[in-house]
Amino acid sequence: MLKLFEHETLDVGNLADQDTAIDVQALNLWFGQKQVLHDISMRIPKNRITSLIGQSGCGKSTLISAFNRLNDLYSGCRSQGSIIIDGRDINHAKENVSRLRTQVGMVFQRPNPFPMSIYDNVSYGLRLQGIRVRRQLDDAVEQSLRDAALWEEVKDRLFEPAHILSGGQQQRLVIARALALKPDILLLDEPTSALDPLTTLFIEELMAELKKRCTIVIVTHNMQQAARVSDYTAFLHQGQLIEYTDSDTLFTMPDKKQTEDYITGRYG
Amino acid sequence: MTSVNRLLSSSQRQSFVISATAFLASLLLIALLSILLLILVRGGAYFWPTPVYELTFYDQLQNKQKTVYAQQRQRTDSSGEKVWQVDYSDENSPYGAKTLVEAPDVIAKKLAPESAQINLTDGRAVLAEPVYLTSAESADIPVSEYASVQEKVHALTAKIEDIRETWLSDIHQKLAELDVRNVDADAPARLNLNASFDRWQSEIILLEQRRDAFQMKVVFASGASWQLPLSDIDSFYFVSSQSLWEKWAMALSSIGTFLTESPKQANTSGGVFPALFGTVLMVFLMTIIVTPFGVLAAVYLSEYAPDNGFTAAIRVSVSNMAGVPSIVYGVFGLGFFVYTLGGSLDDLFFADHLPSPTMGTPGVFWAALTMAILTLPVVIVATEEGLRRVPDGLKAGSYALGATKAETVLYTILPIASPGIMTGVILAIARAAGEVAPLMLVGAVKFAPNLPIDGEFPYLHLDRQFMHLGVLIYDGAFHSQTDAKGSSMMFAACLLLLVVVFVLNILAVILRTRLRKRYLL
Ligand SMILES: Nc1ncnc2c1ncn2[C@@H]1O[C@H](COP(=O)(O)OP(=O)(O)OP(=O)(O)O)[C@@H](O)[C@H]1O
Ligand SMILES: [Mg+2]
Repeated sequence: MLKLFEHETLDVGNLADQDTAIDVQALNLWFGQKQVLHDISMRIPKNRITSLIGQSGCGKSTLISAFNRLNDLYSGCRSQGSIIIDGRDINHAKENVSRLRTQVGMVFQRPNPFPMSIYDNVSYGLRLQGIRVRRQLDDAVEQSLRDAALWEEVKDRLFEPAHILSGGQQQRLVIARALALKPDILLLDEPTSALDPLTTLFIEELMAELKKRCTIVIVTHNMQQAARVSDYTAFLHQGQLIEYTDSDTLFTMPDKKQTEDYITGRYG
Repeated sequence: MTSVNRLLSSSQRQSFVISATAFLASLLLIALLSILLLILVRGGAYFWPTPVYELTFYDQLQNKQKTVYAQQRQRTDSSGEKVWQVDYSDENSPYGAKTLVEAPDVIAKKLAPESAQINLTDGRAVLAEPVYLTSAESADIPVSEYASVQEKVHALTAKIEDIRETWLSDIHQKLAELDVRNVDADAPARLNLNASFDRWQSEIILLEQRRDAFQMKVVFASGASWQLPLSDIDSFYFVSSQSLWEKWAMALSSIGTFLTESPKQANTSGGVFPALFGTVLMVFLMTIIVTPFGVLAAVYLSEYAPDNGFTAAIRVSVSNMAGVPSIVYGVFGLGFFVYTLGGSLDDLFFADHLPSPTMGTPGVFWAALTMAILTLPVVIVATEEGLRRVPDGLKAGSYALGATKAETVLYTILPIASPGIMTGVILAIARAAGEVAPLMLVGAVKFAPNLPIDGEFPYLHLDRQFMHLGVLIYDGAFHSQTDAKGSSMMFAACLLLLVVVFVLNILAVILRTRLRKRYLL
């Protein structure tokens, strides 16, 4: 299987603390009366790409939203268990979620640029942090757009509204927007599901490039994509973590019957 | 309806529904257009010159035949008979009289190109033939010299005003100072001042005599003549012999007068400037007050308030508030703002002026506040509508970048909802500009001696009463039965009110379009 970057394979079932970016411990989560996540424990390795696969409605989005506490936006959401990031339990009530979200960036399924200029979109997070120095913002905007491989395409129209960009460009724009905050972890929720194959490839290459500097967790419905880009893959089924190992193993010789059925397309 | 259903096939039924809706829609449109047309025609007629006729008629009241110069304002038909509403001048009532003449009583009627409509500075008009002008030196200056003679009169008037303002008021002030210092009645300073006062006074009398010697001699249709002091004359037009071009010029100049001058003759002539100004100022103040409150309330309701029955109840009552009769708001404004709030302000800050109230009396600020309360539901509902249209994905995007709730509201939600907010403001403006009844309770009056803004500190007098176009129209409607001119002024004010609402709306719509373009999703 083609890998853009080869490196030693870690055993995610037995990951050392210094290699762990996110340590999920016995996470249970409810929306109202409905339990969406059941006792999930997993360690997500640093500077690797980990993908989450599973049937629609199995709780993938809910799980990655737990990593930046975005589930807080829904008043009926309640959770138990801990999520250790950077040595602290971010699931704790006293966690500063604004700061957390600057460390854990997120890109959504559908590109959601703000109705502002390209420049203002990318600098949004920095301006929230009170950075007003023009020079500093200029540099950060350029760097983030370069990192998201968008700079060459938009450098002459930074002050035009973001919605004039194509879908693929918009998706890279929101990636640049997240990167501007220099996050340690980047959560991508089906980032390419609305894009054509060529643009998808483009974003996949981008991820391979980005993992040098941050941990990436990606939700995808595309088995080939998961196999192609991710180092590790977790399979979720009805809110339970069924199997979690390196992608090569999971896609070639899965341990569990459910996993095999899913990846061979027998259901879901 | 069931029988109709049975008779028609489904496609026929559909086309029946379509044509029925189209018919009703066009009916509404026609009704709307005819209202507009009526106001446009009747309002426009106020500015268009009315020809002067030489009219011979039998006066039923005085039992005699009269020949007068007259303008016929309006024709009404009562019980199938034509009745002319006529303004005329003659030697018995040179400054205009009004009468109704029934068609059989008209003996002769012809255009009178020799007669002029002479507009006086006090708003009245004389219909007569100018013959010549007189001055102290000469008794037969031709009327064509009017402009240069009138210039002399204006110069004299200016001189008199100048003396009054610079010298006499100065002397008055000095005398008042002497009074304060209890200086004797026969002190030399006082005598000196008195002497110079008398000197200026006699100077003024001399100038006035010279000015009043300039007169216009006019002749009425009956042949009787009359003298009009030139200083009383504002302008005169030979209306019946005007070319189309001159008619337009006269109409434009009367539009100018209408827009820039104060009402005269109990709101039946002159201009409506104070009312126009008062309307715009009140609407402006109201907008400044209602927008922040409405937006804050809507943001609280849709973003912060818990999603429970209590919030739903508040939402329903807000919508219902929009249906409360406006007079109720007027009474509330009078009872709460004017008497309670204004009264307490008086007790606190203006106690030395009591018992005469300073803030505890109707005024433009209380009116704006009352209108703000009245239009608050409109702004809240429209803003909430705008807030609902903000996609959840964008909110999530903002939170995901570390924004707090307040930051998300401020930087993402409000800008995107701003076109919705503008829609609310537009509706509020239209509503407030057109209200009359509540305004009459809280500060709008038929006639206000001063504008709420002037050169006197603190420039903006929020406690002053103000004039309002709607109130002027209301007032005009009461004149209309006795005074044709008053009624057409009412239509002209109506037209202006429409224009004001239209212009304010256009401004807001332009702003909204720009915001929409800016925050296009
Ligand atoms: N805000 C919410 N309120 C109530 N229930 C929710 C909410 N969000 C998600 N759920 C429920 O939680 C379960 C998991 O949803 P989630 O969005 O995590 O699924 P997913 O695996 O991301 O699915 P998909 O592949 O379709 O995106 C679903 O059954 C969904 O109905
Ligand atoms: Mg999802």
